[in-house]
Amino acid sequence: MFVYEGEFIKTLAEKLISEDYRVYVPDSRSFIEYEKAKDIPKGKTRKSIKEFLLPQNEVLIRYGKWIEEVPLDREKRALIGVNPCDAKAVTLLDKIYLEGLMDPYYQTRRENTLIVSRNCEPNNYCFCESFGLTPFSTEGSDIFLIEKGERTYIIPVTSRGEKILSSIDGLMNTDVDESSIIVQHNFSRKVNPDIQDELRKKFDDEMWKRISLNCISCGTCTFLCPTCFCFDMLDEGEKEGFRYRAWDSCQFPLYTLESSSHNPRREKWQRLRNRFYDKFLYTVESKGEIFCVGCGRCIEFCPGGIDITEILAEVEK
Amino acid sequence: MKKEESKISKIKDRVAKLLEKDVSVFIAYERMPFELKDRLTIISSPKEVDKISVSPFMVGSPARMLLEIGGIDDGKIGIIARACDTRAIKQLIKEGKIKRERVYIMGITCGGMVNTRKLRSPRFENGRLYDHDREVHMKDVLYDTCSRCEDPLPVLYDEVFDVFDVFEGVSKADESTEEIEGDREKRWSYWMGEMEKCIRCYACRSACPMCYCTECLVDPINLAVSPFTSAEEKASYPRFLGKTISAEDNLFYHIIRVLHHAGRCADCGECERACPMDIPIRELERKMREVVRDVFGYDDDEIPFLAKLDMIPEGR
Repeated sequence: MFVYEGEFIKTLAEKLISEDYRVYVPDSRSFIEYEKAKDIPKGKTRKSIKEFLLPQNEVLIRYGKWIEEVPLDREKRALIGVNPCDAKAVTLLDKIYLEGLMDPYYQTRRENTLIVSRNCEPNNYCFCESFGLTPFSTEGSDIFLIEKGERTYIIPVTSRGEKILSSIDGLMNTDVDESSIIVQHNFSRKVNPDIQDELRKKFDDEMWKRISLNCISCGTCTFLCPTCFCFDMLDEGEKEGFRYRAWDSCQFPLYTLESSSHNPRREKWQRLRNRFYDKFLYTVESKGEIFCVGCGRCIEFCPGGIDITEILAEVEK
Repeated sequence: MKKEESKISKIKDRVAKLLEKDVSVFIAYERMPFELKDRLTIISSPKEVDKISVSPFMVGSPARMLLEIGGIDDGKIGIIARACDTRAIKQLIKEGKIKRERVYIMGITCGGMVNTRKLRSPRFENGRLYDHDREVHMKDVLYDTCSRCEDPLPVLYDEVFDVFDVFEGVSKADESTEEIEGDREKRWSYWMGEMEKCIRCYACRSACPMCYCTECLVDPINLAVSPFTSAEEKASYPRFLGKTISAEDNLFYHIIRVLHHAGRCADCGECERACPMDIPIRELERKMREVVRDVFGYDDDEIPFLAKLDMIPEGR
């Protein structure tokens, strides 16, 4: 671990910019370019960092009388000030896009994106602790920063992070006891992650219909979710245009509509149920991980007042 | 606050009584267990009335839920409605989506809804609002929709409960804002900046009591396919907008949505409240309302605006 006196993020950002990185830092809504940022607020951004690895729109080919593949995006990017839960979420996205079928678009972006996280200040919606995370978890980060007063403690996490740190002046080695700089947080929300058996039993439960009354079938929860990874492929332009992929949401009725007109998830409650099963059962079965990091965005911004922690507690009952 | 509490308990008693005989279910709000927010709920027996909450923290349009459950076969549906909700219900009745005699409207006076996004750790005790330990004046943290509400009194009701002191919004004359009426270049860059934030989650559309179409023009495929729809027919469905999220395309979506609300918008602000990116969508609706009134001389009590357009004399 290192320690730095002064504005470390500034030092790091400037160093990375000099090495041809495009540097992004959090604004309240999303990560914005460092040069445009007035300050770097703490707390969660509305949108997670997944848009840097899986953009909401990504052009794959252009077509006309010819077909032209769009080159992979190799721009070097650094995200500084990422929340630990969002960094962990990237490791989950990796399981989808890098295991088994390798997605070259995601892979290239991933390899060229440096993730520098920092300790966060949880809000009332957070429940990352339920998944073994804390505001100080380093998983998924290349470098981890702990800000304490005027000081920044710096933990190199990956060899890539280490290499970058080795070229920064002013870092001092420290053997400070980690427990002395870590602040415990009492989370008011929690869920039981070992809920798979209950979910298997509750598939046909009436509760889903009742709960879904408040759902309005918008895509807020899935679009803000750092681990939701679904996309749709579309062509724009009839004779000439481009093929792109765009975020899709399992909450939209069109998501599962088949061309035969059959829709396996025609009803709202089936779609809402799917979100819970996909995060807490199907992905556990296929990838061995729960696809939720407890960031709480889906609770905070749900226009209908649906609370994932409340629903999982009900599943357990 | 004592006044409010006794009023709310009166509402509960009344709802319980209505549920015994006249009304089969009641659309009301309940407090969420872990946060300062009331969400919609359906009360179907007098035993459940205790969970009813009436407060400045209600989210979601009861008119939209009324539309959703309106299909139940018999009996009346009761609804606790604020001024804006009654405006939406009135419009839905006018459009033939709801039958007046099927609804029992319990109007409540409204002092505006608190935008808890403006607070970090909100707490509500004895009628006072706190953020952490600092007291906050509710009027300072209302939704913009509410602080500029034109008419906080229900327009259509079977009975009204005077729960909250009404909050008088600004008058119509103060309506226009820089963002809508100001310099053209500035306006364009302002709206492009806002539209850039849109993630097209369609929360505004889904939350809106007026957006009840089963098919929407901005959906990339059409829901009205059946096993008998030929491939050719499917391919020939007009597609106005795909899933491209450039600021221009987002603006296209929002303007189309607003145009379809000409003379219909109830000004409830649910679109803005639902928006996870805080885009001031309602400003567009507000301008639409103004045009419909001032340019076309439309009054809310007339037949639907779009039906009336044919009759407007030329040159107006």
